[in-house]
Formats: sequence, structure tokens, C-alpha cells
Amino acid sequence: MTQLLLFNVTNGLIIGAFYVLMALGLSLILNLSNVINFAHGGFLVIGGYIAYAITPYVGFWGALVVAPPLTAILGLITERVLIRPLYGRDPLYSLLLTFGLAFMIEDGTRFIFGPQGKPVTVPPFLSQPLSNDFFFITGYRLFMVGTVMIAVALLFLLLRYTRLGVRIRAGALDLETVAALGINVQMLRSLNFAVGIFLAGLSGVLAAGQLGLEPTMGTGLLMPSFIAIIVGGIGSLPGTLFGGLLIGVASGLTAVFYPAASEAVMYVLMAVVLLVRPRGLFGEEGMLT
Amino acid sequence: MSSQTFGPKFNRRSLVKGAAALGAFQVASPFLIQARGEAPLRIGMVDPLTGVYAAPAGNEVMGAKLAVEHINAKGGILGRQVELLVEDSANDVGTGVQKARKLIERDQVSFMIGDVNSAIAAAIAQVTNEKKILHIVSGGHTDSITGKDCKWNVFRVCNTTRMEANSVCGVLFKKYGKKWHFITPDYAFGHTLFDACTADLKKLGGTVTGNELTPLGTTDFSAYLIKARAANPDVMILLVQGSDMINCLKQIVQFGLNKQIHVAGTQQELESLAGLPPEARIGTWMFEWYWKQPGVAGVDKFVADIRKVNNGHVPTARHWFGYTSAMSFALVANQQKTLDAVKLSGALENFELPDDVKLQPNKVYYRKGDHQLMTSAFVGEAQSTGKDDPEDLYKVDEVVAGDKTAPPVDETGCTIKWPT
Repeated sequence: MTQLLLFNVTNGLIIGAFYVLMALGLSLILNLSNVINFAHGGFLVIGGYIAYAITPYVGFWGALVVAPPLTAILGLITERVLIRPLYGRDPLYSLLLTFGLAFMIEDGTRFIFGPQGKPVTVPPFLSQPLSNDFFFITGYRLFMVGTVMIAVALLFLLLRYTRLGVRIRAGALDLETVAALGINVQMLRSLNFAVGIFLAGLSGVLAAGQLGLEPTMGTGLLMPSFIAIIVGGIGSLPGTLFGGLLIGVASGLTAVFYPAASEAVMYVLMAVVLLVRPRGLFGEEGMLT
Repeated sequence: MSSQTFGPKFNRRSLVKGAAALGAFQVASPFLIQARGEAPLRIGMVDPLTGVYAAPAGNEVMGAKLAVEHINAKGGILGRQVELLVEDSANDVGTGVQKARKLIERDQVSFMIGDVNSAIAAAIAQVTNEKKILHIVSGGHTDSITGKDCKWNVFRVCNTTRMEANSVCGVLFKKYGKKWHFITPDYAFGHTLFDACTADLKKLGGTVTGNELTPLGTTDFSAYLIKARAANPDVMILLVQGSDMINCLKQIVQFGLNKQIHVAGTQQELESLAGLPPEARIGTWMFEWYWKQPGVAGVDKFVADIRKVNNGHVPTARHWFGYTSAMSFALVANQQKTLDAVKLSGALENFELPDDVKLQPNKVYYRKGDHQLMTSAFVGEAQSTGKDDPEDLYKVDEVVAGDKTAPPVDETGCTIKWPT
């Protein structure tokens, strides 16, 4: 039993790492632009399908490098054309817009690639388990966790040490002052949106290697990411990181005792956090008001 | 409401004229109806064209469209051309019911087909029953549709979950061993399929080491797989479908579990196998219909016809479901020379499908008593790559006739009440 629990905690951390990647992108966009991006799962799907389409030419590694920036460019265009006009309005407008956009992306991919799932093959040496006992730790999953760790480290370095990062963080706290200091806020928001969508694209490529690639794939992955943000605390990126890992582990542990509730447990966790500490575990009071 | 408002435009005389015109219309209406007799006859179809079942639903619609083309080429139904009206249930019971009502009340369809989702199919059956419309459930498998909730006007083409279990459980037991662990989707279809399998396993003398109930749309199966392996079964039985099947099989193979435990299940579909990478196309299963049947009458033509409209791809069982559903209406209505739903339902009982529609070796008929189509189970193995055709992803070992897999009518719980 101890072994089973230990296995599921480790496994939960691996799953959680993936939620973190999605949730950080969502969180970035939410913090700076006050946009609850319901189309984030859609961009994940786009990333996956771009990878699928270009793998025959550039291989899996090529796709991993090329697909996320391509997705980010699409994100940039979306931000410029659709989302920017709504910044001045109530966040409800952009929420509705991205909600609709999610459907359009789903139907668009279905129209282009068909409703049937597409197989994405990962390099054979990655799809091996490490050992007989730790069968659930495959090369691919380790690689995924590694990629997430690198991406998260780079993101935190970007936010901590670069001019862009400092501006993004400052903007998340007080955009008006940042604008008054002469910083091009529109540009800042665009770049920030692109970074968020880049992470969604990267998640898409990673997910396509492990799951079936389908137009509806993003929907199932989006909700845990939202929960990760809420549990971790809106406005706090370390909180999002922690929230993602926490719900992964909670879901894994529940599967040992009562598998049917392994999804519901995330929502229960969210409800408890909201009741006990409404700002989230790492959240600062008064964010997003 | 002052009379002045209407005064200039609408006086008593025009009201009288209007009433007279309306009366005349009533008298004249038989002629209009006669003229409408030349209008096309409509078949309504409700299927989840968006959502997780979009792939099978799209294929069912494609099959039904081909059937309508064939029906019209042979002169239609009772001399009238046939039109197929398709509505998207969006994989939602409320939407499905609303669309079915719209098709019946506004579009005046004479027949109804649908749905892939068992829950929606059962809900639509309530509506068609109330409106007395002949209804064929194309792809919803849960037992109750031709079991305890059966209806005089409702027939079903695809298998029941019990037929699926009965077709393959014996083979799995003999081949792989007696300790089974289940991965079951947590909704009506999964539950009835699990019950059917465990009933069979019990009869055979086997044991269940556990059942992992997974929510529909689960993406990561690792936690369930860790638990399943810890239980040390001989066989892992996957009852999940669609994208869940793809995700689960892909992860089993990545974890190398297929090298330690046999992996098998009941219903498998070409849509799922095609969505998997070659190394994950494994296991023993049952298909409800397969496109490669050398020497069986009509199959080659059907495959060629579907390829023409399906970007060169072969038909799946879903294409055949849609095709057979629509063809059944035409066959029975043209034989009986009526559109009366009660008479047609009566005539469909024990109605045998001809070779060019059944497209399989055994006798195929709608069974009297529960209205379930006695269609074959294609038991066999998934194969990673096709030898002659890239879409030949399944090797059929045995085609078991429907009346061998279906439990007797008195065990289905179905009692059909005909309208008085």
C-alpha cells in the first residue's frame, strides 16, 4: 500500500507538472491583461496539430522547436485583432470572446484535419519505461517534466532579470503607473500574450506525444489549469506552480482509494481553498479588483 | 387597443374577406396536400457532430447519406424522392431532444435515426414514441433501449453491450486467463458493459481483481494503470471508447504494461485504431462490422462507394450503421407500400436484411420481441500496420452471428406495448 501511495504521489507530480505549464500561460495573460483566456485549450490544440503537420518534415524534435513559436505568432495576431479592442471594457467581453474563439478553433481544426484523432509518434527511445517497477516513469514523461522545468525556469528568469519581465510584473500590479512612465503598454500586453500562448503551444506538442490528438483535446486539460490558478492564488505565479502540482497529487492519490472521484477531487480542493482562503494559497489580497 | 390604429388598413370587410379566404384555403387544402405528395419524403437524423463523438457521428451521417443516394437512384420510397435532414445533438441530451422535436414538428420527417450517445438515443426514443415516428437507433449501445425501455416504434442496428460481452468474453478467458481487471467509463454504457462482462466471467469461473471507473474524457490514465497493475491480473479489459480508448492504450504501451499483462476489451472501432500510433494498435476485441470481408456479397461495392465520398478512406462500422438504418426504412416501406409507423414497425419484426445491405456472412434480422438487429460480432486482433492496405488495422478471426451473442428475448426485460 505504501508503495502504491508513493507511486501515485510521484505520478501526480508528473501530471501536475503538465498542468503547471498550461496554467502559467493562463496566469500570465490573466495577471497583466485581465483576460480569462478560455481559448487557451484551443491554442494547445493548435500547437499539437502544427506539430502533427510538420513532424513528417522536421521530425519530433523539429516540431518541438517550431510549433510553439508558430502558435505564439497566431496568438499575437489574435491579440492584436480580436482582444486588443476589448481591453477598455469589462473583462466579461474578452471572456465571452475567448469562449467563442475556443469553439471556433475546435471546429476549425475539425474542418481542416477531420474529427478523427491523429497519431503522433515520439522517438522510440523515449517511449520506454525506466524499469519494471517504475513502469509509469517513461523516458517521455521524464523528458516532459524536464521540459516543463526548463520552461518554468526560463520564464522566472525572464520575469526576474529582463526589462520585459520587470515591466510585465509591474504592469500586473499597476498598469496605469507603468503607462504613465512612458512604457508602451499595448506592446507589453501583446508580448505577454504571445509568451502565454507560446506555453500553450509547447503544452500542445508535449500532450500530443502522450495523448490522442483530437480537436476536443484542449477542453479536458483547460479546467485543471484554471483550478491550479485559483488554488494557487490569482496573481501569483509561484502559487500557480504549486497549485498545479497539488491538484496533480490530489487527483493521483484519490485514484488509489476512489477512482471515480479522481477528477471531482480537484473541484473539492478548489471549493475548500475558496472557503478557507479565498485569495488562494499564495494569492495576495485585492488582486484583480 | 383603439380601432383607429387599425382603421385605415384593416376594416370589417377585409376581416370577412380574410375569413372567407381562410375558409377557401381549408376546402382547397386537400389539393395542396395532393400537390405536396410529390415533395420529397424526409428522414431525420440526430447525431453528435461536435464533441467527443464527432468522428463516429460524422461517419454514421456519411453512411446514411450514401443510403439516401442509393434509395433515390432506385426510385425513392413509394415513388417519392428521399431527403436526409441532419441535426447536431452536440452530445447533449437536452439539445438532442430539442432537435428531434424540431425535425418531427417543423420539418415533418417520416422516419428518425440517432444517436451515437446512448443517453441521447434513449431520450429521443421517448419523443419518437410520443409522436409515433418509426425510429432506428444507429449507434447507442446501452441495453435498455431494446431491453427494459423498449418501444414499439424503436429498433436498433448496433449491438447491445451484452451482445458485445458475450461475443468476446469466452475467447479472452480461454486465451489469456481468469483474473480480469477492468477500466470502465463512468456512465450508462460503461456500467452495463461491465455488468455484462462480469456476468460472463462469473459463469466461466473467473474473478474480477478490480474495476477502475474513469470519468468520460479522462486524459491521463496513469493513476488507474498503477492500481490495475498492482492488482496483478491476467488480463486488463478496456471498456472505454473514443478518445479515452486512444489515451488509455497509448499510455499502456508507453508504460510497457502490454508486455506484462494481456490487454483486451469488447468493442473496438477503426476510428480509434486509426488514431493510435502503430505500436499501440494491440489487443483482442470485437468489431461490429469490418470493411475487409473477402468473398462476401456487396462489401467491395460499399467500400468503393464510401471511399469516393470519404477522401479515399474505407468505411467503418459507423458508416455501416448509418447506411443500414436508412436502408431499412426504404426496404420495409417499399415492401409494405405504406408510411404508417405501426404497420411498418410490425413488418420490421423478423425482417431480414438482403445481402447488399447486411454486408456480412450470417443471417441479419430485426428480432421480434425486442427489435434488436441480430448483427454479427467480428472477433479478432488489432494489427499495427495493414499488409495490403494502410487501413487494414484489424484481423478478423471469427464472425459470430447475432442470435448467438444476444440473450433470449425473455432475458432482455423487454415487453413491447403496441398502441391501441
